Amino acid sequence: MPGAHDMPVSLLQASLTLCVVTVVGVVVVCGGALLYFRRVRQDRPAIGTFNGRDIVILLVLLIGLPFLYAALPRWALTCFLVLTFAAALSIGYSKVFGAGPVWLATGLVVGANLWTSQALMGTTVGWQMWWAELDILVAFGAIAVANLYVQGGMRLQHVAWFGLALAIYDVSSTLIINVTAQLVEEFIGSPLDPTFGMRFGVSNYGIGIGDLLFYALFVVASYKAYGRVAARLAFVVMIAFGGLAPTLFPLVYDLVDFRNDVLVPSQLFFAPAAFLCYLWMKRHYGRERTMAEYRASAGGAAPAPVPAQAAPAPEPASV
Amino acid sequence: MFETGIRQLRMALGIVAGRRLDTRNLGRLIDDALTTMAEFGEPGGDVQELLGGPLADPADRAEFIQRGVRRTARRLAARSAFYRRRFAAVGADPGRLDVAGLQAIPVTTKRDLIERQGDFLCTDVARHLTTRTTGTTGRPAEIWLSRYETELWPALGALSQVLRDELRPGDVMQVNISSRAIAANHLAAASCRLAGAGCRLLGVVSPDEALDSLAGGGATLLSTYPSYLAELVTAAMRRGMGPDDFALRRVAVGGEVLSPSVARAACQVLGVARIEDTFSMTEVIPVTGRTCSASHLHHDLNTGLTELLDLQTGEPAGPGALGTVVITPFFPYRDCMPVFRYDTRDVARRLPGEELTCELAGIPATSQILGKAEHLLRPGPGGVITPRQVIAAVEALPARPWPARYRAGVHDGRVRLTLPASAVEGLGEAGARRQLADAGLDVDLALVGDGPAAALRHTRSDLREATFSSPQALIGA
Repeated sequence: MPGAHDMPVSLLQASLTLCVVTVVGVVVVCGGALLYFRRVRQDRPAIGTFNGRDIVILLVLLIGLPFLYAALPRWALTCFLVLTFAAALSIGYSKVFGAGPVWLATGLVVGANLWTSQALMGTTVGWQMWWAELDILVAFGAIAVANLYVQGGMRLQHVAWFGLALAIYDVSSTLIINVTAQLVEEFIGSPLDPTFGMRFGVSNYGIGIGDLLFYALFVVASYKAYGRVAARLAFVVMIAFGGLAPTLFPLVYDLVDFRNDVLVPSQLFFAPAAFLCYLWMKRHYGRERTMAEYRASAGGAAPAPVPAQAAPAPEPASV
Repeated sequence: MFETGIRQLRMALGIVAGRRLDTRNLGRLIDDALTTMAEFGEPGGDVQELLGGPLADPADRAEFIQRGVRRTARRLAARSAFYRRRFAAVGADPGRLDVAGLQAIPVTTKRDLIERQGDFLCTDVARHLTTRTTGTTGRPAEIWLSRYETELWPALGALSQVLRDELRPGDVMQVNISSRAIAANHLAAASCRLAGAGCRLLGVVSPDEALDSLAGGGATLLSTYPSYLAELVTAAMRRGMGPDDFALRRVAVGGEVLSPSVARAACQVLGVARIEDTFSMTEVIPVTGRTCSASHLHHDLNTGLTELLDLQTGEPAGPGALGTVVITPFFPYRDCMPVFRYDTRDVARRLPGEELTCELAGIPATSQILGKAEHLLRPGPGGVITPRQVIAAVEALPARPWPARYRAGVHDGRVRLTLPASAVEGLGEAGARRQLADAGLDVDLALVGDGPAAALRHTRSDLREATFSSPQALIGA
């Protein structure tokens, strides 16, 4: 959910700034997730792989989270967010940097953000420090979680369907029931706001961690399923429909809300494009690679396109 | 993934609490394991914890065993007439038993099982199916199984085999064991069903018939006895068959001694890297043992306690000493007709004290089974010759007399070995004696005609089952 808040600047300037911030965010997160996927093997449980029912569980959690945020007192919400970020970063990076350094770094950044939220929010520099701390937490968190899912067996098919469901939720919560606007209003300036962004002048520009996570899932799952060429295609789709389209859309359609914020439901643009892209890849390349097949291959080499009359390859049994 | 986590948690809680495990939950976990293997090609990193039990910490291991022993003893004291009397006779308090205190409780013998079968049945379990020992070492014992046991054991077996990639969907397992070994046959068939594999229960038919089924990709897994494997290899060599005729990826044997000569030949002829030599026994199912690449026998920790008791003193055998393997399957893995400290009379040697370095180093081990205690030869003070030594030496003779047929005894401090004449063919009596001496067997040799060879030593391959297409079996029946 890219959004610009408190914007006395022109709509064009705001949209372009938001576009730059968003593109930087998605490139950093998706590029980082892809790099992580190629270099790091996360630990996983002895038995278990991501399946369709996990998507349903994720959706239920996602729909429930705003209500949880609304119900929890501020201190409890902050504790919940500290736990969430600490767990994601610990799972994702303990193996890479060692548990001690990861806990230390997490503690420092989280602590700094808690302090900045209390002490430095009156100035642009203070805001920018607050955003920079968040950007580190959000980017590293999204990279780790995207890999947790894809390396846990989440397929491009799951990502594509998950995206469609997410789009419905995104549009409803942003444009119909205004949950997103209330959350943004509630969170902005609070510790550990799960948003990637920056402040320029008196305006804040940001994209939610959920959107970043979904973009990273799409790019990494495309790479795992069909290789380097598919990942490039996914990247282009992601930049066009995840980075440019939602941020430039307010130029052609008025989305300024009663708080003078511009909130755009990104998945309205990206999820259908991602789904169509997935259908094309499936038709062109055939069955997705499993993690075992991905590891056995060179990694990035694209599978040969499916011959026209080829029988559908058997899918792994789903539980 | 979330559901699988919950299933694993349910299973773990059942194990820790010592409750009967939900076999439907286990079945779903097997499906999860199959999906995991299909996606990743291997299970996740902490699979050893799941398969091997609490291995890492000796204190955790001791605690796990003690809880298993107490839980099992408490139940037996309440539900089994035999053990209620036995515990009362020695004044044992099942709730306070520890591994050191187990010595006070006499071992259970096969004779106890045969003569007082009814007393072993637990009062809270309905009988479902019986299985018998093959009886090659005497009168067969009959064991009752509950429906729960017949569902639990294949599920546990299938789960571990799927996670070890020993059983895959699309595999076909050919089982050449006696059709009367109901539990083993049922285990094989049900495990295959749960893993989506095919199962061919052939019984001990003529080796040529078994080879016909194996050939041309007819099976990818073979489960049989070492003696029958020897007959299969002999028949395959006679027919000029080799690795290209088979699509086997695993061959597992158990129940008898497998010699290096037969194992080597089987690998060459059937085209597998190694023959898996497993330990299992009808009376103590589901406790099993696996042989590692260093030829240690590693005993399952999860489902029971395995002790090695000195043959003379009945105390735990010291490092390097021979002992009889005594097994206590834990509740809830055994519930209908359980045994407690069952003396298998299978002899093994306690390994020297050094730390193990093999791939199964975390699991306690002994030497491989060396033979039955009654078949040990003691030619002089301190000297012991085990059946494994004799079988290995005889099966290494150039004539390939497989499976080894011999009779051995001690006369005036010398071992006398009786062999069929064909066993020393091409070598002569003196040459055979020299070769046996090189293998550590300084023996007097007696040769008999080939006619009564089978009577010298019974093997499980003698439990031949007749078919209309195997006239030799009919004649022999």
